[in-house]
Amino acid sequence: MNAQRAASSSSAVLEVRDLAVEFPGHGAAFRPVRGVSLSLERGQRLGLVGESGSGKSLTALALMRLLPRQARIAQGSVMLDDRDLVALSEREMTRMRGGRIAMVYQDPMSSLNPVQTIGHQIAEAIRAHERVGRNEARGRTIELLRDVGVTHAERRFDSYPHEFSGGMRQRAMIAMAVCGNPDVLIADEPTTALDMTTQARIIDLLDSLVAERGMAVLLITHDLGVAGSFCDAIQVMYAGRIVEAGEALDVFGHPVHPYTEGLVASICELDRDVDKPIVTIAGQPPLPQRLPHGCPFHPRCPAAESVCSESEPALLQLRGGRRAACHFADARLDRTA
Amino acid sequence: MSAAGATIELALDRRRRNAFIRLVRRPPAALAAGVVLVLVVGAAAAPLVAPYKPNAINFTHLFAPPSATHLFGTDELGRDLLTRVMYGGRTSLEIAAAATLISMIAGTLWGFVAAFRKGWVGETLMRIADAAMGMPVILLGLVLVAAFGASTTSLIVILGCLFAPATARLARSSLLSELQSDYYLAAVSVGASARRIVLGELLPNTLPVLLARATLVAADAIFVEASLSFVGLGVQPPGTSWGTLLQAGYTNLYRSYWYPIFPGLVILVAVLALNILGDNLQRVLDPARA
Amino acid sequence: MLRYLVKRLVTSVFLLVLSSILIFLLLRVIPGDPTITKLGGSIKNVNPRAIEAIRHQLGLDRSLPSQYVHWVGGVLHGNFGRSYFSQFPVTTLVSERIGATLELTILAMLIGLLISVPGAAIGAIWRNRWFDAFLSGFTAIGVATPAFVTGIILIVIFGLKLKLLPTQGYVSFANHPFVSLKTALLPAITLGIAVAAPILRILRASITDVETAPFIRTAEGKGLFRRQVVVRHVLPNAAIPALTTVGVIVGSLLGGAVVVEYVFARPGLGTLMVDSVFQRDYGVLQTLVLLAAAAFIFTSLVVDLLYGVVDPRLRTVRGDE
Repeated sequence: MNAQRAASSSSAVLEVRDLAVEFPGHGAAFRPVRGVSLSLERGQRLGLVGESGSGKSLTALALMRLLPRQARIAQGSVMLDDRDLVALSEREMTRMRGGRIAMVYQDPMSSLNPVQTIGHQIAEAIRAHERVGRNEARGRTIELLRDVGVTHAERRFDSYPHEFSGGMRQRAMIAMAVCGNPDVLIADEPTTALDMTTQARIIDLLDSLVAERGMAVLLITHDLGVAGSFCDAIQVMYAGRIVEAGEALDVFGHPVHPYTEGLVASICELDRDVDKPIVTIAGQPPLPQRLPHGCPFHPRCPAAESVCSESEPALLQLRGGRRAACHFADARLDRTA
Repeated sequence: MSAAGATIELALDRRRRNAFIRLVRRPPAALAAGVVLVLVVGAAAAPLVAPYKPNAINFTHLFAPPSATHLFGTDELGRDLLTRVMYGGRTSLEIAAAATLISMIAGTLWGFVAAFRKGWVGETLMRIADAAMGMPVILLGLVLVAAFGASTTSLIVILGCLFAPATARLARSSLLSELQSDYYLAAVSVGASARRIVLGELLPNTLPVLLARATLVAADAIFVEASLSFVGLGVQPPGTSWGTLLQAGYTNLYRSYWYPIFPGLVILVAVLALNILGDNLQRVLDPARA
Repeated sequence: MLRYLVKRLVTSVFLLVLSSILIFLLLRVIPGDPTITKLGGSIKNVNPRAIEAIRHQLGLDRSLPSQYVHWVGGVLHGNFGRSYFSQFPVTTLVSERIGATLELTILAMLIGLLISVPGAAIGAIWRNRWFDAFLSGFTAIGVATPAFVTGIILIVIFGLKLKLLPTQGYVSFANHPFVSLKTALLPAITLGIAVAAPILRILRASITDVETAPFIRTAEGKGLFRRQVVVRHVLPNAAIPALTTVGVIVGSLLGGAVVVEYVFARPGLGTLMVDSVFQRDYGVLQTLVLLAAAAFIFTSLVVDLLYGVVDPRLRTVRGDE
């Protein structure tokens, strides 16, 4: 097993191709995720950013095969090393979850079972993948709790979720996610529900844990600051599609797609001139049931021209390993560079 | 009435009519309504449609099993059981309907008074309801039978009393939520009289909840009447209800096991249909509570 | 928690007192004199002196409040009064009959839980459309079927046709445990079905609620199998709201026992109650109903305390409503 992993270490550990999520309905089926591709190398950190409703979280759940019951993966493949997760039986997929691919969820308040102790829930995750006794699992859990910075871990093992603060719960969730040393860790808005100082600490914790264990991370966030400080690469999602991809510095420093540009411009910098108005993108993201014709961003786009309402641009390969889905991508790249 | 008021009335009216359509569109509800209708018509029109006379004795056909001539078989005197079930339905449904009416009127009054009188009056009224509901329905029914005796009239009163406390609690809570609503404040602020508000606004708006409740009470009333009659403390001979038929069938179980089956099934079907109807009514008329 | 407990205890006692007054008044204020039935049902040729004597003996010539105090005072001292009809102490009558009822209700509760909990669990694990429809049908019919109908059907099938099980009577468990259980089986299944249906209904509703909770996704994300997710995470959380219903059902078991005991001719508290209504034996009746009310109030108290055990959030948050 280890040899096999080492052998394939140069290539991508997770390779998602053309993934689509569909909510089937009576004549009203719609796809909130349409043709998403992404690739993660060992130890790489990829940020998936976009507004809420852009399909980021559904993409993450699709990778885990934990979509809501009404939804299904309509097309695409999710290769984890050489196995396609989409094609696995439910039983095989269950073994993968928590073992090879694990997830940290958005809301640590409701993502923990309220009637079980924190320690029990983490130990359960350990025992789901390894044949270890109760006592050993307990010992390992306490160690893990220490690793994620829970003080008095020994005593906290027997605490219930409601006795933990939000930050502590998220630390416990992270401990639960990394306990099986997964190859890929998906973190879905791991800091959104937390206050500012706790957010920074949780990101620091993720940072050191991931570096130590060499996991690949897919960070899903709407917070460009978090994405920029944590990730190597960025993919921007809009209306269920990837609209821009590239190195984090490039994407945020010189955005090509007008949507990314808008996102970057709307970051409210504290040291900026207070008289300058806060820039926002006008309008609302479209509902996946009612996508506009052509480029889904064109109704909100300040640079839209007639072609934008006629055809949807493909995600084009640009210079410097960048990609963008805009009819004017080349020209815009030249302009920004 | 002001124009705005008229529009609201219209909207409410449409909502109610839609509710009826939505109810009938639900297949289980439509089926249940059909079953209830058949039972009611079968009982009401028994003298016209029943295949035999209810007391036509036939000593050559005692305890006959179901057949083409006697669909439900015959009883210990050779009387046609289908006919007797139809006539028994008159008593059972009459008692259930009257008891439901009593429980709804008494319970609604009880609950409304409790909701309006915030002080010790309301508190006491609700505590009495709690105490009454703190006893199994059948047991309280037995106590009431011991007290009032077991005639058709007293059964109606007894069942009415049995289900009034729960109705009172529901009426109170739904009225209290209405009292929080904007239209009530609006009516008060334009100076409408208390009577007008209660009769014109509050009662019509709590009516859907109460209507659904009434259907469920009717089901329970049939259930409890049959239980009391079955142990001999309900409808007294020569009166006939579904419960007494079942009781008679039960005592003759070893001679003809067919005898009690059909009265039993009819009780089951009646209760089931009313329950389904009530549940669906609740969902259609009062989606928030269901 | 302690303050809540005390408050809860006080309400319970208050409710019990209110119930006892209610029972007492219902049986006194309304016409119908128990002495008449005792003297043979007809009042015509009865010596008024004899009536007076019996009324005096039963304490019925005293004022209502004094009768009430006498009754409740006795109950508090463990003296439940005497039967108006047979003159036996109520305690004796109850202790003779309680065995049959206890055996029936305990078995019925067990059967009810054995049907409803695994049924709900299998439904949640399997997620099969047809099995779900079957469960819905079972609950709808189970709730609507009077126990005597179920009982008669069971008697016909297992007693008359298959001749597998006894359909009548009661054998003391202490003397013949096996025969006793065998005799109790049909009545217990009858009452058990009536118990299972509402529990199954509420359990399934709350399972549907819990299934959508984010922590269920967490459990799935850990790599637990469906069975483990349901048994360890869904059921324990779904059981919490179902507990109230179970409490109400346990509290009303005596009511269900009335009809079931009658169908299966079991000499239990239920049949005792029916007999005492026939005989207008208020002495027995008022005590039995008071016992039932006490059982009901007591179970709801126990359920409240159980909430603290099963729901850790209530232990620390001090359950002041």
